[in-house]
Amino acid sequence: MSRISRRQALALGAAAALPRIAIAQGDDRPTITIAVQRIANSNTLDSLREQSNVGERTSLMFNERLIDLDYRGNLAQVPSLATAWRRIDDTTVELKLRPGVKFHNGDDFTAEDVAFSFGPARMFGETRPVVNGQTLPVAFSAIVGQGAKKVPDEIPPVARRLWPGLDRVDIVDRHTVRFVNATPDVTLEGRLSALGSEIVNRRAYEAAPTWLDYARKPVGTGPYRIREFRPDTLLVLDAHDAYWGGRPPIRTLRLVEVPEVSSRINGLLSGEYQFACDIPPDQIVAVERNPAFEIQGGTILNHRITTFDKHHPQLRDPRVRLAFAHAMDRQAIIDGLWAGRTRVPAGMQWEFFGDMFVKGWTAPEFDPAKARQLLKDAGYKGDPIPYRLLNNYYTNQLPTSQVLVEMWRQVGLNVEITMKENWTQIRDRSSPRGVRDWSAGATFNDPVGSIVSGFGPNGAAQQAGEYDNAEFSQLCVVLETSADRARRHAAFARMLAIAEREDPAYTILHQNAAFTAKRKDIKWKAAPSFAMDFRASNFSL
Amino acid sequence: MLRFLGLRLARAALTIGLVVTFAFVVLRLSGDPALMIMSPEAPAEAIAAFRHAWGLDQPIWAQYLRYFGAILHGELGQSMRDGRPAIQLVAERIPATLAITLPALLVKVGLGIPAGIHAALHRDSLTDRIVMAGAVAGFTVPSFVLGLLLVLLFAVQLGWLPSGGQESWRSAILPVITLGLGGAGILARFTRSAMLEVLGQPYIRTASAKGVPWRAVVRGHALPNAAIPTVTVVGFMVGSLIAGAVVVESVFSWPGVGRLLVVAVANRDLAVVQCILLLVAATMVLSNLIVDLLYGVLDPRLRSQAAAGAH
Repeated sequence: MSRISRRQALALGAAAALPRIAIAQGDDRPTITIAVQRIANSNTLDSLREQSNVGERTSLMFNERLIDLDYRGNLAQVPSLATAWRRIDDTTVELKLRPGVKFHNGDDFTAEDVAFSFGPARMFGETRPVVNGQTLPVAFSAIVGQGAKKVPDEIPPVARRLWPGLDRVDIVDRHTVRFVNATPDVTLEGRLSALGSEIVNRRAYEAAPTWLDYARKPVGTGPYRIREFRPDTLLVLDAHDAYWGGRPPIRTLRLVEVPEVSSRINGLLSGEYQFACDIPPDQIVAVERNPAFEIQGGTILNHRITTFDKHHPQLRDPRVRLAFAHAMDRQAIIDGLWAGRTRVPAGMQWEFFGDMFVKGWTAPEFDPAKARQLLKDAGYKGDPIPYRLLNNYYTNQLPTSQVLVEMWRQVGLNVEITMKENWTQIRDRSSPRGVRDWSAGATFNDPVGSIVSGFGPNGAAQQAGEYDNAEFSQLCVVLETSADRARRHAAFARMLAIAEREDPAYTILHQNAAFTAKRKDIKWKAAPSFAMDFRASNFSL
Repeated sequence: MLRFLGLRLARAALTIGLVVTFAFVVLRLSGDPALMIMSPEAPAEAIAAFRHAWGLDQPIWAQYLRYFGAILHGELGQSMRDGRPAIQLVAERIPATLAITLPALLVKVGLGIPAGIHAALHRDSLTDRIVMAGAVAGFTVPSFVLGLLLVLLFAVQLGWLPSGGQESWRSAILPVITLGLGGAGILARFTRSAMLEVLGQPYIRTASAKGVPWRAVVRGHALPNAAIPTVTVVGFMVGSLIAGAVVVESVFSWPGVGRLLVVAVANRDLAVVQCILLLVAATMVLSNLIVDLLYGVLDPRLRSQAAAGAH
């Protein structure tokens, strides 16, 4: 029997260890830590449940949609899991799926996953599209794939807001699908690029014991896969090396929840974090004083607005509401509180609306004399108007409100701030509501996703009883169902005129902006959105 | 003794019941969890579905009766945000909190009491003034200010320690110091006052006059008599071990019960908030009970009073 000497044994051990060391040394990609104020509001990572700015930030790290947005450009639609798409008719879009895409669990991405992602088991439950006020009959006898689990009851209404008319997804072949809507809809492509339209892995979804188990660890096709999610604390993602868009440049991506701004900045300066998100404008100078760090970011697809309850006795006359709009020196607020890093937008619209953008439309000009005249014409006598306010729910909310109250006082408006603790109190109807703060985002590149969802018949403002206007509501239907682009454009222009001038529902304040502090030596560009892109094309050290 | 214990336990149960009731009413009336958790922009149908699923569409008295009934059966409810039992969520966070509050308690006791004794024994000396200045600074500077100052110095400027998180044992050092220094200041002040009061008593002069060595006088007569107010304060500190680090946990992003409480209150996650409050109330009540029992151990007069009361 041959014997192995101690020296030989050591040599064998070293040889066995060699490949592992080589692998470890071969992967010299960095671990990046990002400090965020909040990882997820709902404590889940399912984009239908986490319909929030923070959900938008993380979703594209591990999920993907069929159509993506050009985050380093003008947010135009670009191919993602679909390589091409074409209109069959006003109700149908056909998409060619990208071949060779792997999910995080190694499965191939196919048309089955697309149909499942937009099916009743994951999205719609037993709800059906509404056509001309009539709900279509249920077309399926059982919700396939639901198994022992059931989507929470609140998911189908969220899905129906995003996809009110989607009837079904037809599988043409393994890599071709057709989205069939119950009504004409020119925004189907836009809806495919919105948060909530991510593709899930059918097998992983069905295998999860409960909906919550899947929602805590979704399996997507994005550049990073979820390793660990500790709610309110930590999200750890590893590189998905089989990613179709190229090997991810970061080995491990860690998002840590650091609620305090000062703690996020201190952690960045001390080298624990490489990125610190949600930096308020007044901290920009403090961060950039250190030449090793810089601030990225700027305007995003979200506007801050002041909303009116038109049924308040002092606000019934639209001239009073318009006086509010003309009394606001928006640029002064931007210069004073935002260090000039945002802008006054052209009403509730964004350039990425493309041909739906109403050129020449502007926010009401700062004109105190006109505001005073409007109040005089309306017979306003200086009666108090309540202004319900949250403490900095929005960035700079409190100082902005104090400045606004003074601006309104200058023209004769008697606005009284009432601090509230939460949205229930803001919306409470038991005492008179006057004006309040809100924000309006563009979920996709069409006004249906912003002005209609905010102020239309099913929008939060009308449902809360703050606003109604028959013509405006009629035009919402045109925007939602007409396939005539010229007619839709005219309808949107008219809606802006009604909601921002003739019978104001709100007035625009400024475009929102988001800022991220980072190490300057990291080559990374912030998107004009909350989404953070850490693909190879947007990150290097 | 049994009557004494029984009365204390009954009072403890009443206290816990009141805390739970007060928290339920205040939280439920001050905000709708559905709007907090679903976001105000969520479709009305989604918010209604959420309310129905969690029984929030029931009258508040019905919700309260159901909740209180569940507590009596040992069920503390499920988190609306997390879907898991509230007690499980809270239990997961307790070790993290104790990892900073227990060492901080040692710092408070180990630093505060000796400093207070030393200051009292050297009244009006330079060390007394230094100790008292430090003590006043310790408990008057808010913990978030002290915490940020420590972070600026030890993490940002010197780079010796992490600024937050829970990556290693080193991450706990600054939170422990922040919690410990404030508490040590309070204990030093209380101990000094108690010692000065005792040192002025006739029996201290008598013992000294009898020729008992000063060290023995302090150890045998002054310290035990001065211990009662100090033990009371330490009792409060023990009672706040679970939720006494809310601010510090936020400043240092320490994932303990305090952070969970802040998030749960903000989201009106009723079951979680109530579970934490129940735990805090129970800890505080238990700690007070132990302190009451310790009074008897420290002062025989109180023990005999309690015994007389029991007869």
